[in-house]
Amino acid sequence: MPGNGARRLIRMFHLISAVIEREKDRLSELDGAIGDADHGITMSIGFLAVNGALARLDLDRTMPADVLSVAATAFLNAVGASTGPLYATAFKRAAQALADREEETLGLAGQAAMLGAIASGIRDRGKGERGDKTMLDVWIPAAEAAADAAARGDPEAAAWAKILQTAQAGADATRTMVATRGRAARVGPRSLGHMDPGAASAVCILGAMRDAFCEG
Amino acid sequence: MRGKQAARAGTAEAPVPIPLRYGDDPLVWACWLYYEERMTQGDIAEAMGISRATVNAYLADARERGIVNITLDPARLASLTLAQELKRHFGLRDCLVVPSDGSSRSLIDRLGIAGGQAMRKLLKSGDTLAVVWGRTVLAVGRNTKVAGLHDVTVVQATGGTAGRTDYTPDLCAAAFADAVGGRCVSIMAPMLVSSPEIARLLLAEPLLEEQFATLAEANRVVFGISSLRPNSTIHMSGLLESVSLQDYLAKNAVGVIAGRFIDERGQPVAGPLEQRTIGISLDALKAIPMRIAVAGGFDKVPAILAALRGGYVSILVTDAATARGILKADGMAGIDDKLVQRPKAETLPNTYRSHVKKFINDPQDVIEEMLAGAVAAHRKHIAPIGGSHRALVARDGPRPGKVGLVVGGGSGHEPCFLGYVGRGMADAVAVGNVFSSPPPDPILQCARAASRGRGVLFVYGNYAGDVMNFEMAAEMAEEEGIEVRTVLTTDDIASSPVEDRDGRRGVAGNVFVFKIAGAACDLGWSLEACEAVTRRANARTYTVGVALEPGSLPQTRRPSFEIGADEMEIGMGIHGEPGVARERMKTADEITDAMMDRIFAEMTAGRGDRVAVLVNSFTATPLMELYILYRRVEQRLSAKGIDIAANWVGPYCTSLDMTGASITILHLDDELDSLLNHPCETAFLRVG
Repeated sequence: MPGNGARRLIRMFHLISAVIEREKDRLSELDGAIGDADHGITMSIGFLAVNGALARLDLDRTMPADVLSVAATAFLNAVGASTGPLYATAFKRAAQALADREEETLGLAGQAAMLGAIASGIRDRGKGERGDKTMLDVWIPAAEAAADAAARGDPEAAAWAKILQTAQAGADATRTMVATRGRAARVGPRSLGHMDPGAASAVCILGAMRDAFCEG
Repeated sequence: MRGKQAARAGTAEAPVPIPLRYGDDPLVWACWLYYEERMTQGDIAEAMGISRATVNAYLADARERGIVNITLDPARLASLTLAQELKRHFGLRDCLVVPSDGSSRSLIDRLGIAGGQAMRKLLKSGDTLAVVWGRTVLAVGRNTKVAGLHDVTVVQATGGTAGRTDYTPDLCAAAFADAVGGRCVSIMAPMLVSSPEIARLLLAEPLLEEQFATLAEANRVVFGISSLRPNSTIHMSGLLESVSLQDYLAKNAVGVIAGRFIDERGQPVAGPLEQRTIGISLDALKAIPMRIAVAGGFDKVPAILAALRGGYVSILVTDAATARGILKADGMAGIDDKLVQRPKAETLPNTYRSHVKKFINDPQDVIEEMLAGAVAAHRKHIAPIGGSHRALVARDGPRPGKVGLVVGGGSGHEPCFLGYVGRGMADAVAVGNVFSSPPPDPILQCARAASRGRGVLFVYGNYAGDVMNFEMAAEMAEEEGIEVRTVLTTDDIASSPVEDRDGRRGVAGNVFVFKIAGAACDLGWSLEACEAVTRRANARTYTVGVALEPGSLPQTRRPSFEIGADEMEIGMGIHGEPGVARERMKTADEITDAMMDRIFAEMTAGRGDRVAVLVNSFTATPLMELYILYRRVEQRLSAKGIDIAANWVGPYCTSLDMTGASITILHLDDELDSLLNHPCETAFLRVG
C-alpha cells in the first residue's frame, strides 16, 4: 500500500523541522563564526516551507518519491542561497532513487538508497568532496555506513546507531579542516577550530531520520 | 669624531656639562647619542666624559625607566610569536614564519626566499641533502645561494615524474646542487611504476641500489607538504592518474609527503600506490636528522598539521596566516590574543549604542519593501516579471534579433544589480536576499523574459551559491529550448592568487563587464560573440578593495566584522569577506599605491594603452574621498603613459553601509573601448 513509506517520510520531515527549530540558534552561532550567521534561519525557513507543501498531499495516493520531489521544490524556492540548491538536488536525487526502486514501504535498503542519493546529489551540485569542511563530511560517511548496514542486513536500530555515530564523527572532524567551498572558504584559516554549520545541521537531519525510521 | 685624542681608559670620570637641550638628565643625553646619532658606546663615553660602563648602565637604566621604548614591527613581532609557539607546541628544532606583509609577491615566492635564507644557515660542508620535489621546494632551491661550501651532495629523494610541470624531481635537485655548488645524484627511475613487481625489480638494479645508498646517507632533507585539494600539486604529479583519490580520502588521508599519503595524525595511509612508488619511505625520511619542511597556504593547514603531528618535520618554514591556522586547528584558540600588539581599546561606556540605526520597518520586510520602492522609482526602466519583484525586466530591453542579458545576485550591493537594467545593458535581473543568491525560479523567469530566440547570456559574480542557482536555472531554461551561456565575473584580484584566477570572486568590476556584455547584445551580436567579448572584458578587469569600517545586516544591525580603530583591510570583498592583509591605516596615496601596485603586477598595460577606471564606494565613503583616490590613480596611470578613456567615480557596487572603496581598471582594446562607449539607458548608468 502506497501510503506507508510516504507517511514515514512526511513524519521524517516534521521531525527534521522540529529539530532544526530547536537547534536554530546553535546553527546560526556556528555559522556566525565562519559565515554570515544565517544557517539556522535558512534551514528553518526551508523545512517550514517543505512541511507547508507536504500538508497539501493526498497521502493515500502518494509514493515516497513524490514526497521527496515536493520537498525539493519547496525547499529550493524558499531558500535560494547555496543550501537551497544543495538540499533540493539531494531530495530530487533521492526521489529518483526511490522511484527507480519502485519503493513503497521504505525499509533499510530503501533508506540506504535514499542516503546514497542525497550524498551524491549534494556532491554533484556543490562539486565538493569529503575533507572540504562541508555537510559532505557528514553525508558521505553516513551514506556509506547505511549501505554497509543494508548489505549486512543489520536491524534498523543497529544500522541507524552506526550511521549516527559515523555522522557525528564526520561533523567533529570538520573542526580541523579548512573550508575551501562556499562562503566559509572566503574566511580560510579563520574557519579552523569551528565545526562546519552545514555538517552540524546534517547530523540534526540524520538524527530526525533515525527517529522517523526506528519508531517501532 | 669628537674627543678622539682625549684620554681614554682608566681616567676618573670627569663629566662634561650637559648641553641645555638634554635638560639635566644624562640618560636622555646618552640615549640621544646612542639611538638617534648612532654613536658607539665608546664614542658616547668620550663625548660625555664618562666611562663606557657608565654609558652602558645609563642605556640599560633608560630602557627600564621607559625613556627608551624598543618596538618591533608588528607584523614581524606577530610572525616571531607564531614561530615561537609552533616551535614550542610541536617540539621543533626551529621554525621560520614569513610575515603576512600584504606584498604583491606570491606566497610561493615569499616561502622560497625565506627557505633560501634558512638553507644558508643550515647547510654545511660535507652535508648530503635529500631534495623532495615540489613547487615550493623548487622556489627554495632557486632562492638559495650558498658560497664556500665543499663536498656537498644533493640527492633526489624520489624517482622522476613526467615533465608536465617545471618542478620535476630532477629540476628540484639540480637547483639545489647548483645553489651550493655540489654534486647531484639522481634516482634513475620513475617515481611511480605500473606494478609492485616492477618496483621491486628496479630497486634491485645495482645503479638504483647505489643511488638509494646515497639517499640513505642524507643528513638533511628539504620537502614540501601537499594537500589533497583540487589545486594541489599532487594532481599534476601523475600520482593520481591510475587510482582514485577516493580510496585515500575514505581512509582519511589529508596530505602527501614525498608521494606518500598520511592521515590527520600523520600516520601512513596504505593504498594502491604504496608499493608502486620509488623514492624515500616515510620511515627513512623520519630518520634523517634535519628535516626541513617548507609549506604554506591555508588550504594546506590540515596536511601540515598532520606532518607536524607525525614527527616528519624538525624545521618548519611557513607564513603567518598558515602558522596561525595550524595552531588554531590544533586547539590553540588563544593564539590570537597572544598576537594582539596594541593595548585593548578602552571599554565603551554602557550607554554606547549596540545597534546601528537604520531606516527599516520589520527586518523581514527589507527586501520586499526595497524592491517595491525601486520598481516605483525606476518605473521608466524596469518592470516586475509576473507578480514578483524578485525578477525584473527592462522596459526597453528584450527585442527580437538580440541576445538577452540576465544578471543578478544577492541584495545589499545597490545599485548592483537592478540599477544596470535597461536598454544597452542588462535585459533582466534576479534579486536574492541580503548577500544570498536568488533561487533558480526567478532566474528562470528572467531567462524567459529576456529570450527572443537568439539565446541568453548569464553574467554574475563567482560565488558558490550564485553558481549553483544560476546553473540550475540554466538547466531548466535549456529544457525549455532557451540556449544559455554563462560568464562568471572574477575581477577581485585579491581574492585568490593569479594561478587560481577562475577561483576569484566578482566585485565592482561587474559593472564594466555588464556594460560590455550589454553593448554586444544590443548590437545584435551572436550568442558566441557576446560570450567571447564578455569573457575577454572580465579577463581584462582588475579590482582591489579596501575596507575601513564594517557594514551591518538589517537583520542584526550589528557590525558584520571587527576592525581595529587604526586598521584597514586590503582586499576585502563586498560581503565583508577577509582580504589579503590587515594593516595599519595609512594615507590615501599610500593606500592607492598599494592597490595600484597589485593591479600593475597583473595588468600588462603599457605606454599608449587605454583603460577605463572605476573608483567605487562601498557606501559610506563619500565622493570627497573617492576623488582623492581618483586623483592618485590618475597620477599613477599617467606616469606609465596609460590613457584613461573613461572614468566612473561613485557608489556603483556597494556593501550595505560599509566604509571603504575599490579601484577597478579595465584594460581596453579597440573593441572594448567602442562597446564601453555604446549608448545605454538604465536607472544608474547612462552613456551617450
